Amino acid sequence: MFRKTSLATRTFLIITLVTATTWTAFPFYWGIITSLKDRENVNLWFSVGLPFLHYTPTLENWIGELLLPEMQHALLNSITTAFVSTVFCMVIGSLAGYALARFRFERIPNRDITIWFFSLRVLPPVAVAIPFFIMMKTLGLLDTRTALVLSYTTFNLPFAVIIMRSFFLELPPEMEEAALVDGYTRFGAFFRVALPLSAPALVSTALICLAAAWNEFLFALLLSSKNAITIPVLISGGEHSRGVEFWMVATRGMLAILPPALMALLVQRFIVRGLTFGAVKG
Amino acid sequence: MAFPAVKHKHVKYVFLLPAVIWMLAFTIYPLFHAFYMSFHKVKLTGPDVFIGLQNYARMFQDFYVGNAAKNTTIMVLSTVTLQVVIGLVLALIMNAEIVGRRYFRTLFSLPIFVAPIAMGYLGHTIFFEQGGPLNIALTAIGFHPIPWLSHPTWAFVAICMIEVWIATPFCFMVLLAGLQGLPEEVYEAARLDYKSEWQIFKRITLPLLAPVILIVFLLRLISALRILDTVYALTAGGPGTATEVYSLITYRAAMKFFDFGYGAALAYILLVVVMLILTFFFRRMREIYD
Repeated sequence: MFRKTSLATRTFLIITLVTATTWTAFPFYWGIITSLKDRENVNLWFSVGLPFLHYTPTLENWIGELLLPEMQHALLNSITTAFVSTVFCMVIGSLAGYALARFRFERIPNRDITIWFFSLRVLPPVAVAIPFFIMMKTLGLLDTRTALVLSYTTFNLPFAVIIMRSFFLELPPEMEEAALVDGYTRFGAFFRVALPLSAPALVSTALICLAAAWNEFLFALLLSSKNAITIPVLISGGEHSRGVEFWMVATRGMLAILPPALMALLVQRFIVRGLTFGAVKG
Repeated sequence: MAFPAVKHKHVKYVFLLPAVIWMLAFTIYPLFHAFYMSFHKVKLTGPDVFIGLQNYARMFQDFYVGNAAKNTTIMVLSTVTLQVVIGLVLALIMNAEIVGRRYFRTLFSLPIFVAPIAMGYLGHTIFFEQGGPLNIALTAIGFHPIPWLSHPTWAFVAICMIEVWIATPFCFMVLLAGLQGLPEEVYEAARLDYKSEWQIFKRITLPLLAPVILIVFLLRLISALRILDTVYALTAGGPGTATEVYSLITYRAAMKFFDFGYGAALAYILLVVVMLILTFFFRRMREIYD
């Protein structure tokens, strides 16, 4: 592409890159600088305010938000539910992914089981949400972190199965065969040989699951009312009760946005394969 | 790939079954339950009353349903098309040798895991009408400020802009991976036959990339149909009913009006639409998972 770069193509290139860069970076830039303004200056220099140049940046918004009991509670809920559900996903998901990569199921071909998981992952969550809500109500789990963990695990598990399967398929089976010859059980070979060898894949898959659980909104909204409120639910109600306070919206927004954005940086190599369910190799 | 000699014949089920049982309990069972509910008047306090197809019949006379279906369709088709086209243009540029390619790539992929709910929320400040950054910038270059959130059409545009911002990185990254997977030899041959880059793109790149484009398009289509978070956070369906989307009214039927049967019926129709899109997918995914 663009072998002979004429002036016209070069201009086009530069304009496109500048536009795309501004477009992509602006919300991050805006969110961060606004969250660093003090509350009197937040309404000045709306678009051009640069830290240090136009105002002295302050961490008071961040500290203020992080000290709020409701915020701490929501953070704790978000972190614990995301982590616990990710652990469930990785344990159950890598077992099943391993089964689909290494064994042959006779009655239903492996690829059809894999597609079954795939179709469960892509169905609209709202289709499951209402009966899931009633199920949790029946079990007495409404407004508990347990209910959130159950729902997050449910939508991340098929993803973990499919992705771990694709990684295990790339692992040469010889080492596990050698372990079996050495007297390891099937589980021994899985835990001591296959899992350690696929550690990078495990970590990446877990990070993608974590980000998805951290961002989840519909189920959290349905299932929590007070005790189990997560960050997305907390911010979804914020601007209605208190009006648009720029410093608060920016700080809370960035608090929700930054952790997954940092995770995206860590899993660059695996994102493409992960998000296409193995259909496109990155 | 399977091992020739499995010592214990049933050990494979021990590996697979926990995941299968989990999905049966928390997805398949709820789906059956939703199907059952969609034919009932569901009362959480008493027994459900069978009402046949009334929930489904009601949908076709419900203004809100028609409106939300229309909004969702326009939103999904326009944003997904934009995401794929912009993603493809950026991927083509990033596939060329340009200065700082790695940094641009990282930057363009940064929004990939951003919570839609948080972006919708942040939108309250970005699209703020009196003195938000967008309107300040517009006034600075001589345009009138835009009533982003109080005008039906502009609110719709604002939601679409956020959706494009969030999901273009996915298209970009997958299409770039697709481009980088294309064989170099084909291009060497093509350069002898075709003069212009445009012809090479049209005759070689596009056809070779078509399977990847199709996967990106279908995956985006399916997840775009879920759209809820950005709308919920930024406009809550307003002004009026201008940005009401399908998942929002389904949620509202169940959780605001406690009409679980109607909500289940609404959800089932969306499920059927997604299933229909999935059938396009299945043959391709069968090849991939074989």
